[in-house]
Amino acid sequence: MTPNRVQRGESKKRRVPLALLIVPIVLVGIGVAIFLIGGGDVPIVGGDDEVTPPFDFIVKGASVVATAPDADEATLASTADDVAQEITPTIDDLFTNGYLDPSNWRDGDYEEVFATFAPDAVATAEESVETLTLGATAGDVFATVAPGKSKLSYQVLFDPDGAVETAVVTVVFRATAERKDGTYLAIVSEGEFFLRQIDGWTITAFDVTRADHETQPPSPSASPSG
Amino acid sequence: MSILHARRAALLVAFLAAWVAGSALGATEPASHAAAAPLFQLERAHAEFVPTLDGSKPIFVLVIGSDARPDQAIESQRADSIHIVSINPAEHRATIVGIPRDSFVDIPDHGQDKIDAALFFGGPELVVETVEQLTGLKMDYWAMTGFASFEAMVDDVDGLVVDVPFAMSDEASRAFFEPGVQRLDGDNALAFARNRHDLPSGDFGRSEDQGLLMVSALAQFKKEFNQDPARLLAWVASFVRHGTTTLSLDEVLDLAFTGTTINANKVANAVLPGGVGMVGTLSVVTLNQDTLDAISKDLADDGVLKKANVPPSPNESLLGG
Repeated sequence: MTPNRVQRGESKKRRVPLALLIVPIVLVGIGVAIFLIGGGDVPIVGGDDEVTPPFDFIVKGASVVATAPDADEATLASTADDVAQEITPTIDDLFTNGYLDPSNWRDGDYEEVFATFAPDAVATAEESVETLTLGATAGDVFATVAPGKSKLSYQVLFDPDGAVETAVVTVVFRATAERKDGTYLAIVSEGEFFLRQIDGWTITAFDVTRADHETQPPSPSASPSG
Repeated sequence: MSILHARRAALLVAFLAAWVAGSALGATEPASHAAAAPLFQLERAHAEFVPTLDGSKPIFVLVIGSDARPDQAIESQRADSIHIVSINPAEHRATIVGIPRDSFVDIPDHGQDKIDAALFFGGPELVVETVEQLTGLKMDYWAMTGFASFEAMVDDVDGLVVDVPFAMSDEASRAFFEPGVQRLDGDNALAFARNRHDLPSGDFGRSEDQGLLMVSALAQFKKEFNQDPARLLAWVASFVRHGTTTLSLDEVLDLAFTGTTINANKVANAVLPGGVGMVGTLSVVTLNQDTLDAISKDLADDGVLKKANVPPSPNESLLGG
């Protein structure tokens, strides 16, 4: 059937949107291809490697620092254990967000880490991003990070009335990071965090040292323990 | 829509698509460049923060040593030692000024007497009032220990490492020391702090030695803090457990953190000079008013005593200076 004028007009109208669609799709396709090939080191967002590995510190104990001469050490020891239990998730999160969550370290975005610090301390913490986290450019260097055996111990300072004043957490954090070139780096972060209850447990002072070193690939049988 | 318009629209979309693709490509370049840069640094990195006090004004603490024996209330005896400790947080500096206990001064509402009697008359608050009147400096806090509490405090931190500046041999205080660096337990630290019979300048020299103990304690505290920051708790707890003070625990913590930033080597340790004489049956010290005024004025400004205003050491003859 010969199309009438109206039908020809409609047919023309249909051909134009096709051109509009094909050209940009091809160009975007080329762009994406170049993006993935040229920037091959950049991971595909949402891939399997975006999963944060599970991690928990091993708590080695909590000791009491009493200020009352006649302090009831047994009661304070029980409270110190409770304090350790309360604080540990905060420290777990601090290191998970700082070292293990790929959505943070791939982009060098550690906002959640710095939210744990008191207002006075946060500026110094942010300036110390390379020491307190995997680093601002970690996403350019590392492919994966796996946690290792890490431990915490606590010292809890009580006021003369037996109320918790401050807790000091001594941290030894270990992880193994695989670089994109296939080599491995042992991440070691050691230090102390002073915490007080200011709208939840907040870091008011810290002293942290990083002692990273080259390491061998983990043996297949090795598994990180929490 | 005409074909021409359609082509223009297609070109526009194509341009935009190319721009987006190009931007994405551009965005990958820095990442590739960074990845080609030297891999992660391996040197030891260190980060620390301590919440020091506001540095806008000096902090004055009056440190009082009561001569109370273990079975006596420390606030109702005489003040065996009186020191003004000023701290300038901004400059990380501190100054210790000893006031001889026999200084004959006006004690508010009690007339003229030896300054050590102020503690007996009105407790630490009256000692503060007396010192404020004498110097014109406003004390922010006071802190006090007695013989037993001082010993216990020192023992709690496992002793004080002191560079004993000269030999001591004094039966009255049981201070028997060879010169040199040594760790003094509570008993020996108290003996070192009490010895005056063995010193040519008597109480003036003793006051300087007491200042030296404070400087030694600061140096040791800093050293231990640098090795293990959690040691701060032990020092704070020891002070709170055995001392008497107007400082809250929060303030003690703040001062302790501030103390970690003070340069112990630059702490001026001075003693107000004066002449020894008699008033009635009392052996008293008449403070040198010019030096007192100069030191007070200097400290009021920033809490730091200028070298020019540091009087000669009362132990100068023993130090070989």
